[in-house]
Amino acid sequence: MLRGPDTRMRLVALLFIVALLPVLGQLVRIQVLEHPRYQRDVEELVRRRYALPEPPWGVITDRNGDLLVGNVPVYDIGADINLITDTVQAAQRLAPLVNVPEKDLRAALTLPEDEKKITTAWVPLAQDVSAESSQAINDLGYYWITMTPHWTRYYAEGDLASHLLGFINRDGQGYGIEVSQMRFLKGETVDKTGALSGDSNPLPNEMADGMEFPYSGTDLRLTIDRTIQAYIEGELAKAVAEYNAEGGTILVLNPRTGEILASASVPDYEPYRYFDYASSESVGVFLDPAISISYEPGSIFKVVTAAAALDCGKVDLNWSYQDRGSLEYGGIIVRNWSGGSYGQQDLEGALAHSLNVGMATLSTQVMGAHTFYDYVQAFGFGLPTGVGLYGESGGQVHLPDDWDWADSYLATNAFGQGIAVTSLQMVTAVSAIANDGVMMQPHVVAARYYPDGRSVEVPPRSLGKPISTETARTLSELMVRAVEREIDYAQVPGYRIAGKTGTAQIPTTGGYDPENVIASFIGFGPVPDPQVLVLVKLVKPDVPYTMRWGSQTAAPVFHELAERLFVLLGIPPSNLMAAGG
Amino acid sequence: MSVIWHQQTHGVPIRKAKSERTIALLFLAFVVVITLLLAAYLALVADNVRLSREIWQIEQDLMAAERETQTVASECARLSSIPVLQERSTQLGYQPANQVEYLSLGAP
Repeated sequence: MLRGPDTRMRLVALLFIVALLPVLGQLVRIQVLEHPRYQRDVEELVRRRYALPEPPWGVITDRNGDLLVGNVPVYDIGADINLITDTVQAAQRLAPLVNVPEKDLRAALTLPEDEKKITTAWVPLAQDVSAESSQAINDLGYYWITMTPHWTRYYAEGDLASHLLGFINRDGQGYGIEVSQMRFLKGETVDKTGALSGDSNPLPNEMADGMEFPYSGTDLRLTIDRTIQAYIEGELAKAVAEYNAEGGTILVLNPRTGEILASASVPDYEPYRYFDYASSESVGVFLDPAISISYEPGSIFKVVTAAAALDCGKVDLNWSYQDRGSLEYGGIIVRNWSGGSYGQQDLEGALAHSLNVGMATLSTQVMGAHTFYDYVQAFGFGLPTGVGLYGESGGQVHLPDDWDWADSYLATNAFGQGIAVTSLQMVTAVSAIANDGVMMQPHVVAARYYPDGRSVEVPPRSLGKPISTETARTLSELMVRAVEREIDYAQVPGYRIAGKTGTAQIPTTGGYDPENVIASFIGFGPVPDPQVLVLVKLVKPDVPYTMRWGSQTAAPVFHELAERLFVLLGIPPSNLMAAGG
Repeated sequence: MSVIWHQQTHGVPIRKAKSERTIALLFLAFVVVITLLLAAYLALVADNVRLSREIWQIEQDLMAAERETQTVASECARLSSIPVLQERSTQLGYQPANQVEYLSLGAP
């Protein structure tokens, strides 16, 4: 036995090999035969879906850089309740900080009896807890508390420009710029599957393999001016209260560029409390009356009819007609607003006296349907303006080829009945008259500032030229004279104002509301170089019937606004502008 | 100790001993090189882990700083907002201009 050293060495080596064989076998089993299963187990253990902290959304400022919508951090609070030692004390201390009744909190923090064997049990405690409360919670030193930061929008000016700015909920739904510009405002979040450590942080390999990091959203600078916005909102509120109106809209626009300087509508809402309105089923208040709700504009539409008649060349300043107080066309009888007849009238007289018969004469006997509706469409009626706001309506224009066309539309549309437009469409159309015939794209976004430092200015864009420069200037002059002759309330000393009143009937089922009207005034100035265009609309002013005309309700509001706007915008009086060339 | 036993255990022929020493040296060199490479790799991995942790921490710090920045910006905006300015103006004794009269100056 074991006679020599070689033999003993071989024996020892053999023993080692035999001892190593099971290890080798296990290695083969684990690394080769059952490799996929173990690989899967490991991946299940470390590879999980995760999201990095949400980056802030882009902020929204007014044209001067004053913050309108920003971000503040809030926290979602949770707890690993299997780690709590003193539930009663914890609930007592946490309740005031997370704004949850102590009793409810104690119940949430208590691990159910039959589930005590589980190793982890995380429960959410509160959402959107403020940074101050979160700090106080952190100071309690509870290691079982989890705090997940995210952002909520902060409206620096409260409910200013609520319809314009809008809001967005956690599901990505909402109104206003927040929704329409969401693709810019929202930052790039990182939500992926990767290898995570026990405390849910990405493992080094995950970082080394080209980890993506979130980046914040694009900042927006708007065309609106918060001072003008606050001013017109105050004036609108005063007007609505003074005339007992159901609602109202004021739009201020620069006709040269299409920039919306301010837009206010009543009823409005507080965007940071949108959930309260949603829960009380008052969601109708979220619709912006300036862009989403169309109405029959009434007499302010007459400027469009007059523009079409002048521009098509069939009418000039020498044109006149015999106003007999009524006109029969398409099975209806058109009458003037006063019911009276005005005798021989030219275009200036028809505009100044706001004669329905005169406008119906132009559309039915001078232009005809084809010409008239070509101009109506050229002015953008029937289609959204593309202002870039959520929920814009295109209004409704009946055309001769439509199935629901009636011949009477040609007569009534001429003075703003039987046609539905939005306030923004009306302002955009009239801006063409103010801007030498060029209709500018209305817009609210002036510039975008990207997180990488790039910035893009949004240039003014033309929507076309529905009328010639000559027509626009002629009509502007006629509108100035109309204001000077008939609308004392709208005049601003030192400034030449072009304008038109409207007192529109409100359609109901089977006719028109005999009690209520929409009173409006649209005007721009100072002529001949208009810098500002204003639409004032008051819905159902509840004042004595003889006092609810646009000239008596909306025109005085326009006067107040224009007077202040010229000062705020630094626009010199007309005589100084003329002197300056 | 017999001569046979001595030859069997230590009496390795000189030529064979030389070649085995060379092999041993090569093996040793191989082990040293492998050890150095493994050490370098280990150092690299450790450095990678450290850097990854640093990046992650910097990212966390960045987000925390972003939260502070946004909070401060929002607070500044609140303090300079129109309602707050109006309130402060009123506290300072200013009154809202209810009746504004504008002077129209003629062209020179």
